[in-house]
Amino acid sequence: MAIITAPPPARQAASVPSASARRSRKLRDNLTGHAFLIGAVICFALFMWYPMIRGVVMSFQRTRRGETTWVGWDNYTRIIADPSFWTAWKNTLYFTVLALVLGYVVPFLVAILLNEFRHAKGYLRILVYLPVMLPPASALFLFKFYAYDPSEAGLFNAILASLGLPTSEWVQSPTMTMPAMVIASTWMNMGGAVLIYLAALQNIPGELYEAAELDGAGIVKRIWHVTIPQTKLILALLAMLQIVATMQLFIEPLILANGAGTQDSATSVAYLIYQHGFFQNDLNGAAALGVIMLLVLAAFSAVYVRLSTKEN
Amino acid sequence: MAQDSGSRTLISHAQLRRGRGRVIYWLLLSVVVLGFTLVFLGPLYWMVTGALKSGQEIAQTPPSLFPKDPQFQNYIDAWNNLDLGKLLFNTFYYAAGAVVFQLIFDTAAAYSLSKLRPVFGNAILGLMLATLMIPAMVLIVPQYVTVIDLPILHLNLLDSPFSIWLPLVANAFNIFLLKRFFDSIPEDLMAAAMVDGATPMRTLWSIILPMSRPILGVVSIFAVTAVWKDFLWPKLVMPSPETRTVSVGIYAFAGGTPQNVVIAASVIAAIPTVIIFLLFQRNIMSGLTTGSLKG
Amino acid sequence: MSVPQYRKVAALALVAGLGFSLTACSTKSDDGGQEAGGKVTITVDCQPVGAQKELLANWNEDVAAFQQENPDIIIKSVSVGEQCNNPPDFTARLAGGTMTDVFYGYMTDVQQVLDAGQAMDITEYATKENIPTWDSVDPALKEVFTDGGKLYAVPVKNYSMGLVYNKVLFQKAGLDVDNPPKTWAEVRAAAKKISALGGGVAGYSEYSAGNTGGWHFTSLLYSQGGQVLSEDGKKAAFNDAAGKQVLQNLKDMRYGDNSMGSRQLLQWGDLLTNAGAGKVGMFIGAPDATQAIVSQFQGKFQDWAMAPLPGQDGPAKATLGGGEGYFFKKDLTPEQVKAGLKWIAYQKLTPGKGQFDYERAKPQNYPVGLPQPLLFANGSEAQKQEFDLRKANANLDTANFALFETNPVPIKGEPRNAQAIYAVLDSAMSGVLTDPDANIDALLKTAEEKVNQLLAAGS
Repeated sequence: MAIITAPPPARQAASVPSASARRSRKLRDNLTGHAFLIGAVICFALFMWYPMIRGVVMSFQRTRRGETTWVGWDNYTRIIADPSFWTAWKNTLYFTVLALVLGYVVPFLVAILLNEFRHAKGYLRILVYLPVMLPPASALFLFKFYAYDPSEAGLFNAILASLGLPTSEWVQSPTMTMPAMVIASTWMNMGGAVLIYLAALQNIPGELYEAAELDGAGIVKRIWHVTIPQTKLILALLAMLQIVATMQLFIEPLILANGAGTQDSATSVAYLIYQHGFFQNDLNGAAALGVIMLLVLAAFSAVYVRLSTKEN
Repeated sequence: MAQDSGSRTLISHAQLRRGRGRVIYWLLLSVVVLGFTLVFLGPLYWMVTGALKSGQEIAQTPPSLFPKDPQFQNYIDAWNNLDLGKLLFNTFYYAAGAVVFQLIFDTAAAYSLSKLRPVFGNAILGLMLATLMIPAMVLIVPQYVTVIDLPILHLNLLDSPFSIWLPLVANAFNIFLLKRFFDSIPEDLMAAAMVDGATPMRTLWSIILPMSRPILGVVSIFAVTAVWKDFLWPKLVMPSPETRTVSVGIYAFAGGTPQNVVIAASVIAAIPTVIIFLLFQRNIMSGLTTGSLKG
Repeated sequence: MSVPQYRKVAALALVAGLGFSLTACSTKSDDGGQEAGGKVTITVDCQPVGAQKELLANWNEDVAAFQQENPDIIIKSVSVGEQCNNPPDFTARLAGGTMTDVFYGYMTDVQQVLDAGQAMDITEYATKENIPTWDSVDPALKEVFTDGGKLYAVPVKNYSMGLVYNKVLFQKAGLDVDNPPKTWAEVRAAAKKISALGGGVAGYSEYSAGNTGGWHFTSLLYSQGGQVLSEDGKKAAFNDAAGKQVLQNLKDMRYGDNSMGSRQLLQWGDLLTNAGAGKVGMFIGAPDATQAIVSQFQGKFQDWAMAPLPGQDGPAKATLGGGEGYFFKKDLTPEQVKAGLKWIAYQKLTPGKGQFDYERAKPQNYPVGLPQPLLFANGSEAQKQEFDLRKANANLDTANFALFETNPVPIKGEPRNAQAIYAVLDSAMSGVLTDPDANIDALLKTAEEKVNQLLAAGS
């Protein structure tokens, strides 16, 4: 391992070092190494490793009037008995799936399109990335007040009405809540994904397209047989990252739908954690919900890793 | 970005330069340029001008394209009532601190893991990387409880910038990026320096860091973006109006402030980063892509 | 950048960063309260924010005057935001123990504050000696802040809800300002006329998000004679004729007459923003809603009047009441508690001073003459003084509130577990306000099931 492969550099300088000198030398090297590590390790210990354990412990406790008692599975049964629990999971999964369709496929297609252009490339790239630079609250208030205004004074409704199409109440309508949130979220965040895809596309050797074209493959076929296989790794990685990110849906319901939305149509699991922890004075229940979320995501990643290793 | 215009993409250049292909290419390009301008700049235009409209004009059907009677007062109210100067200062202060702390601790850690390789180094790296799989939301409650009462030290970090800076240091992705970059620096360079009697600190300063500027830039951008984009964590650990970040501040005031003023505040809040982005967009974008792809 | 320069910048940044944060830490006041020379320092929250210019100036003036009268007490004021008790921030402060020595809370917060183990038993200190008007304070209010025979807070405000209406819009719509609606049917008819004015005006406006929907549902339910929970507090009791009537009335106005505006999912500030912009004809609220409209939402208090809460076929059977008080952080010294009580007594409970300094408030852009905060028991000495001062200095037409004041509706408090229940009821409210095909029976049944489950799990 590390100790063996890295030759102690000062060895040449010393003639034949005694065993004890070598040992103290090694100790000193190790100490120096750990001295460089210590800052990050303390931060990890305090803000990652310890909270992980603390979260699990908290989920089996209840703190009332300054006294903490062990309550077994009580927090879990309480959280699961809350009817919003299932609604929140349903909503979150729905958002995740919609975001995969829209927030995942659209940036890829946009990147393919941009990659074909020989002109205005820089301009288009800046445009796509611009919304990423807005503070999230700014972008969402823009959507809430202007784009999604349910009356015909709203931007989207004004456009629809002028085209003679039926208008919508957007976030206010239970069926449109999630699609409206996905649209806003995609607009806000797609810039990053487009840039990464663009870089990946530029690494595809041109000969592959050449060969495919000679075999008589059309544009769609070329995308299917060349572009996608060639960017498979990055596509898979981003899919994973995006699913984990969308499962944490929080600020969109908080700002666009004032929290739970119409008949709970906007309640997400993350919002439920927030509500239990900070509105209902139930940090223990919120911790239990966090543990459940971790288990679900862990199960998901296990399946994902299983599938992706099988394929390779 | 590595953009050799000679390389072929999905559709061959030759095809796009000839007859029908050429027409379609230019047609498509114009449609896309126009469409993207509308989709991505349009809303921003709407935001900037919307904040200039009066309450009556906002509610008008159909909405007007230009404000009839521009109300610059909305922007002045936003600046004063929300104390935006203070909010923006806070945000930049937290972002700057996050960069400093991450550069110092994460670089040192990555250097140690890559070059000094002390005992248990790999185990520690493994434990760090394991946290990559844990989404922030899962840990938010125990992290919050921890920040309120730090174990052993019994310090309360609420309303202190350290409650933003220190948790950001625990960023396995950055350490991983840095370590991989340092791994690519030849061992001979290190050995040579050591022969010259340079301490590990000296080697880091004068050999490793100067070679690592691109990756340090990437880590800095990530640090700034993390502070800029985060919402729930600063909302929880900065409960006082004086310590809020700009996103949290605008949200906190939105419930008690007229709509136009909220939008005006949103515009002002976006200006600094948009300007920074436009000035440095080349570096930022190439940094982001190389950082995330090749790192 | 050359290496040495690089280093210099980094070092500078680090020093600057640390320096800044150290000062940031040290500004947090954590001195024990006792200082040399026998001075007592206490921190107090809910200082008005900068945007409320006159209120802030009044507060600071009060602090100065109080310190002059009590040279051995130092008051440090802290502003915690435009809403003194924003639930997540309040919870955060309680959990972190970062409240001020004397801290603001709602009547419904007693349980949470006690659960957090952060409040001090002030029974032995709450005396006439520290609060001269203590014997005049309504015993019912003291009871609210009492748990197990121990007093934990001093009430500083008490309200009940009524129908708040915009006189200007009433006149424009040809309605009689002095004869506001007395029943929900009359409210509906008036709302229809007001919304016919156009321009995005809602005749009647109502909440449905951020737990405020459930809060108002409760008040509307009380007006129908309904109950949120059964007597023993173990079951939901709102899924009955009264509850259905509440939602039916709203649905009729929203979709039958289209008189409630199109934007729904409103929470506290959203409705008042619209009201301040003159786009709301009527809503239910406490008298202090008009204060917020003035101090935060750029409205005019002169435009607003208030009537008793309407009922289905006559006066409301009951209305929702609530209020605020100041708690004391545990482990304060007896001197600090006494100093805190004296300050509250001065600023909140003395006719002619602080919040009752009507002479000072009269010329300011702030309503005087509102029938609140109703702190003193009927017939008590302080109540008479306060009433006379209020009448003498009123800067609004007290006739506008006479109906509300002279026709008191029985007041009922909030249910146990209020916030959690409100969150459930929000969805019933948003259901009738955003879905033209909403099934009221189904909405109430779902809400009932949820509340029952919540109560069962919580016990």
